[in-house]
Amino acid sequence: MSWSRVGFSSALLLFFFVVQEAAISKINFPIAGFSLYLCVVLGLMALEDRFGAISFGFIAGIVLDFSPSSDSPFGKWALILTIIGYLFSRNRESIGDFTERPMAFVLLVTAGATISLTMFLIAGLILGENNGSIINNLKSIFGNGIWTLLFSSILLPLIVKFRALTLSSRERI
Amino acid sequence: MAAGGNNRSRLLLVILLVTSLFLITLDLRGVNITSSSRSATQSFLAPIQRGVSDLFSPVGGFFSDIKNFGTTKSELKELKEENAKLREKVILNDDTLGQLKKLESVLDLAGRGNYKVVSARVIGKGSSATFSQTITIDAGSSDGVFKDMTVIGELGLVGVVKSTTSSSAIVLLMSDPTFRVGVRIARSQSIGVLLGEGDSEYTLQLLDPSGTIEKDDVLLSLGSDNNRPFVPGVPVGFVKSVKNSRLTLTQEAVVSSYSNLGSIGVVSVIISSKNGGPKDALIPTPRPTPTKTIYVTPPPTLDLSDRAANEENN
Repeated sequence: MSWSRVGFSSALLLFFFVVQEAAISKINFPIAGFSLYLCVVLGLMALEDRFGAISFGFIAGIVLDFSPSSDSPFGKWALILTIIGYLFSRNRESIGDFTERPMAFVLLVTAGATISLTMFLIAGLILGENNGSIINNLKSIFGNGIWTLLFSSILLPLIVKFRALTLSSRERI
Repeated sequence: MAAGGNNRSRLLLVILLVTSLFLITLDLRGVNITSSSRSATQSFLAPIQRGVSDLFSPVGGFFSDIKNFGTTKSELKELKEENAKLREKVILNDDTLGQLKKLESVLDLAGRGNYKVVSARVIGKGSSATFSQTITIDAGSSDGVFKDMTVIGELGLVGVVKSTTSSSAIVLLMSDPTFRVGVRIARSQSIGVLLGEGDSEYTLQLLDPSGTIEKDDVLLSLGSDNNRPFVPGVPVGFVKSVKNSRLTLTQEAVVSSYSNLGSIGVVSVIISSKNGGPKDALIPTPRPTPTKTIYVTPPPTLDLSDRAANEENN
């Protein structure tokens, strides 16, 4: 993974973080909110090798930990997305390239978003945080899963194209 | 080579996991890295949020209108452009009037309570990925807004200021699961604690074992030392139903809030309050119960002469 790609992808993550915090969060989605940021991060992670997925997971988690509305300890999202990055990379090694199987790609990103939110809640419980009623949390996770499933089919082709642009000639081979 | 790559990845994984756990531990032990970094992020985001809010709030419905601009005749085009401008003005006026109306109600409540307030517009909402229920307002420490100040809406309590930057503040909504506020029942003066549940309903736990809760009881904030985080006397909500459980020592109830937290546009932050607060002056006036008027039409009765004629016939 080249440094220029790390730079490009980090800039993209920051851009989507700002879009998420400034615009997407203001939309009252039915059922529950949608995290565009998580969708983009998981899409990028699914395309990377193990080293890239783990690094992106950590960087993306640190960015998400900066969220001003967050009440959780700093580093919690970094921990969770690093683990998710590792799980994704293991999965990719067994399944192969997702770019030729869009449905599998969309389903993996949706599952990833659902699992990361569930892990976030479980980690909160372990750390003694109060996250409210289980039903509301399940509703939030379910709603986010539905919206991720819908929007990822539009977003993921764009992410694949963006990633292809940032690949160095050596990485393309 | 592959084994070397795997080892490198494994080492990276371990380093990053340990770093994350180290950051979490630092945060939980009270090393102040989060509040400063998050408030810096908020300072960076606030102008963008304000810009996005300004852009989308009044012009939301305008895009569909300007989409149909024709290019057939120049005159028609000019007229349509003029029309669009006028429409934009009307939409802007409607938006401003809507905000003004809400602001009027908020200021009315603040005025009745003799609170000194700073009014602010809601410019952002908390991300769904954080599971916390917050809003961002466009007033900050430069306007006199500081942490732990009460935030009210047009009908009552909205939340409490969680953190501030110079030009914006994050408000923890009363629906957040971590939100707690001391309340008293206006009717009986019993005191209790209202707990946020993550949705539009709340739980009231009475502190007094002999106290009773009744349906439609009005709850007012109890107040805190030096009026922070809560000033006394702010309407919080009303009892929707009473839980009848023998397992708890004190009574519990399901409460609905006066403020609709899903559609807040304008709020006021209470900067100061008169000593003792407004007592019960802010209890919402009860809505008149509709009275049913029933008109009873007597059934048609036979006249006496008709009855006599009938008897003769029989």
